[in-house]
Order: sequence, then structure tokens, then C-alpha cells
Amino acid sequence: MDNVVLGVVIVGSIGAIWVVLPRIGALALWRRWRDDRERHLAEDALKFIHAREWRGGRPATLEGLAGALGLPSRRVVFLAKRLETRGLIRSAAGGFRLTIEGERLALSVIRAHRLWERFLVDEARMPLADVHAEAERREHDADAAKLDALETLLGHPTVDPHGDPIPTGRGELARVESRPLTDWPTGQPAQIVHLEDEPPALFAQIAAEGLRPGQIVRVVEATPERLTLSDGGKTFALAPVLAANIFVAEAPAAGETVSRRLTALRRGETALVGALDQGLQGFTRRRLLDLGLTPGARITAELPSMLGDPVAYRVRGTLIALRRDQAEQVLINEAEPASQGV
Amino acid sequence: MTNNATPAERLLAQADLLRQALPGDFRDTLVQTLYHEAESMAEKAVQQGGRKRWDWDSTVDRLLTSPIFGLPLMLAILSLIFWLTIAGANVPSAMLAEGFFWVEAQGVALFTSLGIPWWITGFLWDGVFRGLGWVISVMLPPMAIFFPLFTFLEDLGYLPRVAFNMDWLFKKAGAHGKQSLTMAMGFGCNAAGIIATRVIDSPRERLIAILTNNFVPCNGRFPTLIMLATVFVAASFPPALTSVIAAGSVVTVVVIGIIFTLVISGVLSRTVLRGEASAFSLELPPFRRPNLRQILYTSLIDRTIFVLWRAIQTAAPAGAAIWLLANIYVGDTSLAWHVANALQPLGNLVGLDGVILLAYIIAIPANEIVVPTMMMMYLGVGMMTDMPAYSEMHTMLVGQYGWTTLTAVNLMLFSLLHNPCATTIMTMWKETRSLKWTTLGALGPLVIAFAVTFLVAVVARAFGLG
Repeated sequence: MDNVVLGVVIVGSIGAIWVVLPRIGALALWRRWRDDRERHLAEDALKFIHAREWRGGRPATLEGLAGALGLPSRRVVFLAKRLETRGLIRSAAGGFRLTIEGERLALSVIRAHRLWERFLVDEARMPLADVHAEAERREHDADAAKLDALETLLGHPTVDPHGDPIPTGRGELARVESRPLTDWPTGQPAQIVHLEDEPPALFAQIAAEGLRPGQIVRVVEATPERLTLSDGGKTFALAPVLAANIFVAEAPAAGETVSRRLTALRRGETALVGALDQGLQGFTRRRLLDLGLTPGARITAELPSMLGDPVAYRVRGTLIALRRDQAEQVLINEAEPASQGV
Repeated sequence: MTNNATPAERLLAQADLLRQALPGDFRDTLVQTLYHEAESMAEKAVQQGGRKRWDWDSTVDRLLTSPIFGLPLMLAILSLIFWLTIAGANVPSAMLAEGFFWVEAQGVALFTSLGIPWWITGFLWDGVFRGLGWVISVMLPPMAIFFPLFTFLEDLGYLPRVAFNMDWLFKKAGAHGKQSLTMAMGFGCNAAGIIATRVIDSPRERLIAILTNNFVPCNGRFPTLIMLATVFVAASFPPALTSVIAAGSVVTVVVIGIIFTLVISGVLSRTVLRGEASAFSLELPPFRRPNLRQILYTSLIDRTIFVLWRAIQTAAPAGAAIWLLANIYVGDTSLAWHVANALQPLGNLVGLDGVILLAYIIAIPANEIVVPTMMMMYLGVGMMTDMPAYSEMHTMLVGQYGWTTLTAVNLMLFSLLHNPCATTIMTMWKETRSLKWTTLGALGPLVIAFAVTFLVAVVARAFGLG
């Protein structure tokens, strides 16, 4: 009996010590978790207010903030008060505005978010539809030195994979002129500059269609029910609600329409590499270029593997195996009949 | 920029400005220019001759990657290598072991005649020296056969074709086709397999290959698998079928290991390794006439000696530890048996026993000594011991120590899945330089091994087996 009492006392006191231990104790962990959550909420609120200001028009309201953060308005009032005392926001006519300090913080979070999105798409080759959620998680560890390193690693990108400009380290954010696709005249070539990533459900549909920033498209037909697009090869039929989330601008003058992809090359056929898809960036793009898939290089589909994917292509005298999703990103110019040339 | 900026700051600001003026695709242009330049140089300097050899190459390539012959050819070639390794290593292994035992006997005799106390003699000769000798004689011959053969295929240009053929399977698991090569290397030695992952140039796929290489049984674990398959699994079949059943069960274990590799690879790439950098590239070099001297050098110096040296560094202390555990008595039981008895409940829970778990703890430095340590314990002697004849062993283990088919099956599974040996863990650290990945690579398999054996034990006992 005494043993049991002793055991309970020992286990109990070890537990009690763990609770109050500094840094690794339960209380300290809980406090850190709570502070982090509080900080994440504050940063998300600043981001939301910034987005409203950026777009122009009415400032962010209490209700708008509550909706965006998914919090009851009682807690948002409390949060707004704290942000005001910290000098990050101020109340203005009909809503909240960022102070200079608040804007600086908001931009650094946005910078982290967009740089991480770039990393996830370019280097980790994550599907475009998944990166927003992952970047939402990573954006809050925004340490300036780490972000600068990330920016250098990515080669100083100027826009994120959705086409949004990335704020510079000094807090400058460029404006990209664009119009929603629904306002674009029929028949005139347009370059996609931005895909709206909120709400996710609509974005997932756009991404599933295979539309990417940088792509050059033409509106073939616009009816109240649907818009028909063409990129020279494929056609896309979109509901207007989707098209309104696609922002376009004037296409660059030399908008050549390369439409065949390397996957279309049959065994033994030769073509010239036209370009690499603009959606393909980072590690894989560098690798393909390094392997010699530069515009103008002759490429021959030579050897399918056992089950047909990957396929080995002969480029500049070497055999290089490409997976289907990579070959899909290589645009080719003209297919020649089977020949023995290298 | 204000006027009081330092020259360096002004320079950086200017660089930023210039960078904005660059077109987005300037890197493409850069590479294109380099290639253009190289092309025009090559045009002037290089003359292309006839194409006969190339035609021969493509014929071979077509055969090796054909949907009909590709897979059978691959399996035939790899089986041949394994067969040569296992069959060819037996005799030299036995000779080496005999040689080491002879030296040991001479050493013991010399020390005894000099009047040196028995415990010094025992510790040095029966402990440290025997541990060393055992590991070298079990490990060296198979590696000295396997690595040169493997390097031969590598030099020939065949291995990239295997990666090319198997890529579809690994792609599904979020891994790289070249992982098939590092796995094949793992059959020789997991540490060498992990070093071989350097051929995978994509960080995420390389980590996957490093973390899962352990699920391929290395040749330090093969003797355990073969012994169990022969003594227990095959023993319950008619004698005519024994060797077929034994071979079949070893193959089954290997297949289970491959399935685990693929499943765990898939899980890793979708969970902890989500969002790590990744890219696929695979070159298929032309077939070449292998350079024999180079093969011998790479395989013997770079691989065999390297791995052997690391194993020796860990085997000697292990030999010492085993001898001490077996020869220090507390009460009238040796330390080893005290530990084994303490581990008994845990061992029983996962369908094994305390001695087996103890052997695996002692064998963390090198898996070759698992069976000798178990035999030492079961036979009640004070040093690592060779197996008795198979039938004798069967009687002893079943009759005296309560082994069942469940014990044998779970021991095979445990041997396949458990934590990598110390050499492999050290190699993981050297290759990743990350405490996080090394810990995951060391403890992940251990957790999986316990979970799987526990489940098998529960299911088997529910059906009244074991």
C-alpha cells in the first residue's frame, strides 16, 4: 500500500515539475503555442487589411475581418485593439487602415508567402493548387535573413506562381496592370498575368484546366454562359465566374504560337525544341537547359522504357530520359519525318 | 539611396535596379549562348565518323527496355549476381573463419603459457579478436564478389537502363528510378547503398532512398534469413521440397522488404518530405567496354575496404562487450542472461524472446554477429559460437527454448525491418549531416519492426498459432 502511495507521489511530483519547467515545460509550451497563434492571427489580419487597401475602395471592416479570419467579432474587436496599441493599424472612416509600421509587417508576411509559393512550385514541384495552403503555414516564420537567402536561392523572382508581384526586401510592391478575362475583347491575344487563388475551390478548377500565368491565349467566343479560350493548340471552355478570376494583359509582340509538346513526338521522329513552358521554373528548368534542351536544339524520341514512361530522347548526341510530366513542358516546333540525323 | 550609404550598399542598390531591368528569361538566354558557342567550337574541331556502333547500341537498348524481355532479363542478371555472391562466398568465408580460429587458438595458448590471467586472455582473444574475425570472415568474401560484379554492370552502362525501366514503379512512390540501383547495392551493404544514393541528384528523392535503404536485407542479414528459412519454415515440408521452400521463403522476405521500401517511400514523400526540393533527370550513357582495373579499384578500395574498415571499427568493441556480458556473473547467472530475462516480457509480446532482443542490441554495430551471439547464449558458452548442425539446432530451440514457427517468422521479419547497423547510421549522418533525418532513419525502422512483429504475433495467437 505504501508503495502505491509513494509511486503516486513520485509520478505526481515529476508531472508537476514538468508543468512548470521553463522553456520545455507544459505551461511554457502552451504559452508559446498561444503566442504563436495570436501572432499568426495578427499577421493574417494585417494581410487582409493590406489586400483591401491594395485593391483600393473601402477599407477593411470589422465584419470583413471576422469573416476572413473565421473568428467571432468579439475576438476580432480584441485583436484589433491589440494591433492598435502596438501601432500597426488605426481606425479610419468605416474601417481599419494600416500604419506605416503595419504596412511594413504586412508586406514582409506577403513576401514570405509568395516566396514560399515560388519555392514549392519551382523547387519542390508541388501542384499549383496545393501550394497556397502550405505557404499559409510557412509564411509566419518570416525571418528577414532566411527570406533573403530563399530569394537568392530562387534567383530573385519578381512574381509568385499565381502572377502576383513579390514585395522586395525593402518593402516595395510593384503594380501589375491587368484586366479580368471577362473584360477582354474577343480575338485579341492576351497573356495571363494573374490567377486569383481565393477562393480555393475556384482556383483548383482553373488550375485543373491547365491554365498558368505567362500563357498566351485568345478568347474565341464569349457568351453569357461560357467563354471559349484557345492557346493555339488546346481549347478551354470556362464558366464566366472562373474567367473573372483570370487576369490578363497585352501579349508581348513576339507571341509565337508554339503549341506541340514533346509528348506528341512519336518514336523515331525528330523536332526542334521551341521553348520550355513558362510554368516550368527553378530546379527542373535549369536541369533541362543544362542537359541541352535549349531553343533550336534537335531532339529525337528514341527509346520508350518498358512501360512507355519515361521516354529517352536523343539531344546533342546523348540519350536523356524524361518523365511524361517533364516532356509535357517542352514545346517543340516542327516535327520532321524519321531520319538518321543527330 | 541616401548620400550617407556605404559604397557596398550603393553597389547592392544598383545591382537591384539592374536586376529589375533584366528580362525574366535571361538565364535561358545565358545557357543558350553557352551551348551555341560550344556547338560552333565543336563543329570546327570534331568530325563524326560512321554510325555502326551506335546501331548496335540501339539494338541492345531496344532489347533491354522491351516490354517482353526487359523485366526477365533484369531479374536473370540480378539473380545471377546474387547466386554468384552467395555460392562463391561460402568457401572463402569458411577458410577465413578457420584461419582466424587457428590464430585465436595459438594466441590463447601463447598467453596461457606466459601465465597471463584467464580474463585478459579471454577478453582479448575470445572477445575482441573473435568479434573482429567473425565480422571479417562473414563480410569480406561476399562483398569482394558482389561489389566488383555490380561495378562491372555499372561500368558497362546497364544500371541506368534498370533505373529507366523501373522508374514507373518508383514514380508512384514519389521516388526516383535510380533508387532501384541503390537498393540493389543495399543487398551488398546498406552503408554502401546509402553512399550510392549520391547518383540521385534531387534532394527529396535522395533522402527517400537514404531513409528506406535499410528495408533491403544486406548480406550481414542474409545468413540469418537463410538459416531460419532452412531450419524452421522448410523443415515442416517434405525433404524433397526443402531447398525450394527455403529459397522461396527468402525471396518472400526480400519481396516484403521491397514492398515496405515502396510504401514507406510513398508515405515519406507525401508527409515529412512534402515540400522538399525535387527534380528528375536520368542520362542513358552509351554502352562501354568496362575497364577492369578501374572496376577492381572502385569496388575493392572505394567500397569493400571502406565498408570493411567501418565494420571493423565497430565490431571490435562489440566483441569485447559480448565477452564481458557473457563472463561477468551476478549471483550464479551471467550479466547477459540477466538482461535477456529482463527483456523476455517485451520479446514475448512481439513473438520473439529475450535472447533474440539482446542479440539485436549487441549486434547494433554489425548484424553478422546476431546468430553467433544467440548461439552463445542458447548453448551456454562464454564466447560467440558457430551454429550446430541444423537438425540439432531445431531440436534445441524448439525443445529447450520454446521456439515456434511464429518465433522464426517474426525473427525473419524483425531482421528485415529493424534499425540499421551502426555503420549504416554513421553513413546516414555523413551523407545528410542532419540529426533529424539520421534519427528518423535509425528509429523509424525500429518502430516499424516492433509494430509489424507485434501485429503478426497478435494475429497468429488469435488463430491459435505460436
